[in-house]
Amino acid sequence: MPKTVFVGMSGGVDSSTSALLLKEQGYRVVGVYMKNWSKDLPGMKCPWAEDLADAKRVAVKLGIDFEVWDFEDAYREKVVDYMLAEFKKGNTPNPDIMCNQEIKFKLFYEKAMEAGADFIATGHYARVKQSSLLRAADENKDQTYFLYRIPEEALAHTIFPIGEMVKPEVKKMAEKHGLHNAYKKESMGVCFVGEVGMRDFLKEYIDVQPGEIQEVETEKTLGYHEGAVFYTIGQRHGLYLNGEKGAINDGLPYYVVKKDLKNNVVYVSKNLNDKNLWTNELKLKDIFLRREMGASQPVFARLRHRAPLIPAKFDGKKLIFENEIKRPAPGQSAVIYDGEVCLGGGIIE
Amino acid sequence: MIYLDHAAATPVSRKVFEAMEPYFLSDFFNPSAAYLPAKKVAADYEAAKATIAHAIGAKTSDLVITAGATEANNLAFTAINARGRVGDFSGTGVAPARRYGRSAPSFSVVTSGHPLKIPTRPRILYLVTEHDSVRRVAEQYGGEAIRVLPSGLIDLDDLKTKITDETELISISLANNELGTIQPLAEVAGIIREVKIDRMKRGIKTQLLLHSDASQALNLLDINVARLGVDLLTLNAAKIYGPKGVGALYVSHDTKLKPLTMGGGQEKGLRSGTENVPGVIGFAKATELAREHLNGNRKKYASWRKILLSELQGCEIINKKHTLDNFVVLCYNGIDAERLIFLLEEKGVYVATGAACAASKGRKSHVLKAIGLSDAQIAGSLRISLGETNTDEQIHEAAEIINSVVQSEYERIRHA
Repeated sequence: MPKTVFVGMSGGVDSSTSALLLKEQGYRVVGVYMKNWSKDLPGMKCPWAEDLADAKRVAVKLGIDFEVWDFEDAYREKVVDYMLAEFKKGNTPNPDIMCNQEIKFKLFYEKAMEAGADFIATGHYARVKQSSLLRAADENKDQTYFLYRIPEEALAHTIFPIGEMVKPEVKKMAEKHGLHNAYKKESMGVCFVGEVGMRDFLKEYIDVQPGEIQEVETEKTLGYHEGAVFYTIGQRHGLYLNGEKGAINDGLPYYVVKKDLKNNVVYVSKNLNDKNLWTNELKLKDIFLRREMGASQPVFARLRHRAPLIPAKFDGKKLIFENEIKRPAPGQSAVIYDGEVCLGGGIIE
Repeated sequence: MIYLDHAAATPVSRKVFEAMEPYFLSDFFNPSAAYLPAKKVAADYEAAKATIAHAIGAKTSDLVITAGATEANNLAFTAINARGRVGDFSGTGVAPARRYGRSAPSFSVVTSGHPLKIPTRPRILYLVTEHDSVRRVAEQYGGEAIRVLPSGLIDLDDLKTKITDETELISISLANNELGTIQPLAEVAGIIREVKIDRMKRGIKTQLLLHSDASQALNLLDINVARLGVDLLTLNAAKIYGPKGVGALYVSHDTKLKPLTMGGGQEKGLRSGTENVPGVIGFAKATELAREHLNGNRKKYASWRKILLSELQGCEIINKKHTLDNFVVLCYNGIDAERLIFLLEEKGVYVATGAACAASKGRKSHVLKAIGLSDAQIAGSLRISLGETNTDEQIHEAAEIINSVVQSEYERIRHA
């Protein structure tokens, strides 16, 4: 009797090839499209029905069962509401991390197990070895940054079929097997809404007020913003000052260094050495550790998806860096690694 | 390729394409321009409109050219607000039907600071199985749906009970786009005539118009606006081997509409914008060809339909009677028809589930629901629509391929 794997299929090439590999490895494979979001925004058609059709077309091609599981209510509550609340606080949350923690590796995992699964699988670039979460073979694509919080129990029953492959191999394999979506464009923007930027999405859900953009050193008003929540500390582009984008008179760019949500003021500076932009330690909250580690143990931290690994130490509450780093936005995650093993991480305060 | 989805789209036929070509390349002038070559284009345009109008027994001046059937349907509904009357509060705009749910019993109008409740009953009735381009508009106006019988035909008793003194417009397609069901429009017109006479006797001046979306039917039914008794009729070039994005609305001479597009005042001010000359030339040619081959094609499609009905196995026929000759709607119990579509596409056979628009939005067909099919039946339903791209051999081959694919699906399910 072959083992049963429920594989989350998004309609993209990564999860499609994952299903293909599992099928070839002799598993009984059930493809599941997780319907997390289907609402259109004005002038923007949510691509869910097309993605679903892509996933289903592949499932039919592979001759595997296929189901649609509706997680819209939970997604709205656990991911979107969380995200909106964080933005309202002035933070920059990461909805993908929350989606993996609450939906894919919780609700989907639980429902699959109830339905008789031995394992679940997704098209993430990551690896599991002896219940440890490992970075993907394709360092360029590694998605462990998004997976550091997934529950241990789910991880123990998870297969990442493409974790040992690099993206070009995945595409080639899909093409070789006649999968129509081998070269489907990767979705940009807010993952669940499609080709729409976060700003456009937030505009629909957060009531924002325009306000002033001030130079932090002089408190001089340089221009106006559409709403302070749209701005991220350290952000450079997208600032319209005196009608010019990101630059003023002398051509030097401005950076967001501070936000005053109460008075709805965004502070900027031309001074790249502004103290708000740099730090040599980061305090973390909502820490999720997959492994114990000593305070003196040298580790690496990743502060954004695909960002370089930075040498650091973690004392259980904060990350300490040898050199100053550019301060990441509060609400983003810091993920900690020992070699290729993901040790966990936390949310930057 | 065996294309069995002519209700979704038809190729532009060679003769239509050739008729259109000069109007793209050499006779491209704006019909409103003053010089002679432009005047010739204007005359050709009018002649093309005449061809279309005459095909349905109408005058050229009764036809408004639109960019497709959806626009024509939208335009038809402006009849509701076109006649302003003293004391007619309902003409203040679109009733907020969606907010208050389907029944929309009343809405408030603010007069001199006091909200005043004015009871309004729906002014629009529409068949529940209408295409979204009718349904969505009707809903916006707070319209009420008329039921259909399990056969897909209009429930005339339901219609009679739902017509009130407020009813102004009734919209019923000539042939349904998912089932091919041909509605007894002349009977509906008869009911409307009686209501109108009764209203006249009682001194009620409210208009009562019949609109019909005939998008699917111009090449499959003999259409005459007088015989059908319609005041408004939607036509579509794209379904009759003409170009996409070209349609027309027949408007009887005493029906008043309001434009949706303002501008240069073309189409009697109802549809501004430079005339789509090649499109209308193509539409006319397609109409001409459709009328010429009407009877021959109907016979051919009816015989193919018969072949499919006898050769296809393991299915239930949904559109048994009162249907366009080229529609075959089937239900495979326990099978997910969408899987069949993907399996068939691998073999070069193209069919549909429900309406293409509904399928792309991931919604279940409201039409199949309305005729009383269960969710499982809806999921197992396939729509085959035959057409000019098909041949005798293709029909047999298609039946064979569909049968084998269905067989393989049943086997897969059995082993799972």
